[in-house]
Amino acid sequence: MAQAQNEDRKIIWTIGGGKGGSGKSFITANIGICLSKLGVRVILIDTDLGGANLHTFLGISPPSLSLSDFIKKRVSHLQEVLIPTGIPNLQLLTGAQDLLNAADTKSVQKRKLLHSIQSLESDYILVDLGGGNSLSVLDFFLMSDGGILMVTPEPTSIENTYRFLKSAFYRRLRQSVSSYPVKTLIDESMDRKNEMGIENPHDLLKAVMRIDEEDAKRIIEETENFHPNLILNQVRSKKDIEIGFSIRSACHKYFGIRLHYLGYVVYDQEVSNSIRRMRPLVLENTQSRAAQCVREIASKLANRHQISFQY
Amino acid sequence: MKWIGEQTYYEVLEVSPTATAKEIQMAYEHAKETFHSDSLAVYSLFSEEEINEIQKAIEEAYRVLMDEALRKRYDQSHFQTPGGEKGGKPSEIQGTPWEKKTALSFTDLSIDAGEEIYRGKTLRQIREKMGIDLKTVSAETKINMKILEWIEEEALDKLPALVYLKGFLRGYAQSLGLDPQKVVEGYMQFLNESKKR
Repeated sequence: MAQAQNEDRKIIWTIGGGKGGSGKSFITANIGICLSKLGVRVILIDTDLGGANLHTFLGISPPSLSLSDFIKKRVSHLQEVLIPTGIPNLQLLTGAQDLLNAADTKSVQKRKLLHSIQSLESDYILVDLGGGNSLSVLDFFLMSDGGILMVTPEPTSIENTYRFLKSAFYRRLRQSVSSYPVKTLIDESMDRKNEMGIENPHDLLKAVMRIDEEDAKRIIEETENFHPNLILNQVRSKKDIEIGFSIRSACHKYFGIRLHYLGYVVYDQEVSNSIRRMRPLVLENTQSRAAQCVREIASKLANRHQISFQY
Repeated sequence: MKWIGEQTYYEVLEVSPTATAKEIQMAYEHAKETFHSDSLAVYSLFSEEEINEIQKAIEEAYRVLMDEALRKRYDQSHFQTPGGEKGGKPSEIQGTPWEKKTALSFTDLSIDAGEEIYRGKTLRQIREKMGIDLKTVSAETKINMKILEWIEEEALDKLPALVYLKGFLRGYAQSLGLDPQKVVEGYMQFLNESKKR
């Protein structure tokens, strides 16, 4: 039975970035299954606003219990809404209701949810954030041990991913600084046509240096410590694979951050076949090329956190 | 977190200060592929002006770092210790070992050589900039030196039949760390254009 070396230390990964169709739920479900087969306890959480379908990728009918039951206090503990998946070591927590609508959910409820997720008993927690970049989605992304961006090699997907990354990055910076004028500056710089002529993070840093040196140092530190991850989905050629490396370079030049290119998943007809059959790809067709890619990514995640195997 | 104008040439190309000529060449090609206005990777992130600025920095970094004398002078003026000492950032371009293991492994970079195509003279220039002699290429690829010379010299009347030539070009490309497909396509394009003249 495999055990995490640090038994009380769970790892939380969030999968977000961009609109629907980039493959977030697909990758969350299938990586979750791969990790669970390594013998570690995995919880999958679906927080997709109005589009929760992680259960479908796992071949489970729409669950009766969801995050809504917890938020609306129909149950007192989050673990009460965990659902078995029929796969050993793997549980699901679904958000089939409109849970993370920022208008409906108060910030205190979101904080309670975040805190409760962190208290769940598991080795790994994978959170499917769904699309969009509302504040709650960004906060979930930033709270994790590793935020994973799913992108396809198409201009629309890349544009959405950068938009998400910018939002997450600036939110992280805003949370790290203490002075109000600097917070305001960060808010203003989200608009590229702002009056201060701040067009990129480097302009922002220079402007902050003029106001508050301590906050400037915090910004530099946060930038150095921010390591989001990238998975490229629906790859059809070697050129597509290289786009991942190019995105990594572009992020470094633009944000100054080190994006980690976690891997890629090839375009594979077997993926949509498995979705139609409502069976997870890595169980339904283990030898398919896409399944091999997913397993590779899952084992990288496991190795990164040094899961030891004690068979 | 430096803007392009504040970065060292090594940082511009994302290589270690101890990078070899081959690593610099590969990094340059990757950078050129990444930072041009048609590149997907920069779509919606950089303005046209920012991309131009980055392109200039890439060209300048490449020009200096691929010239032994210029590089040495640059290292002496920019670093307290000579460029040969270790301690620089690890090479970005190498990545972690797993990034090269899978079936569709990222082995050779595809190159967008801009207006240039992979004619013989271009290949020789690249090889010489990397500091690799033809004897080494011949030993590595098991291709006769004469054939490699004819390829570089564009001796059209002496080149072997296409089916063999393509194989030789692939071997040559791989030994320099270039994308074999791009090199073959480029050389074929050059041959076609030469025939038309």
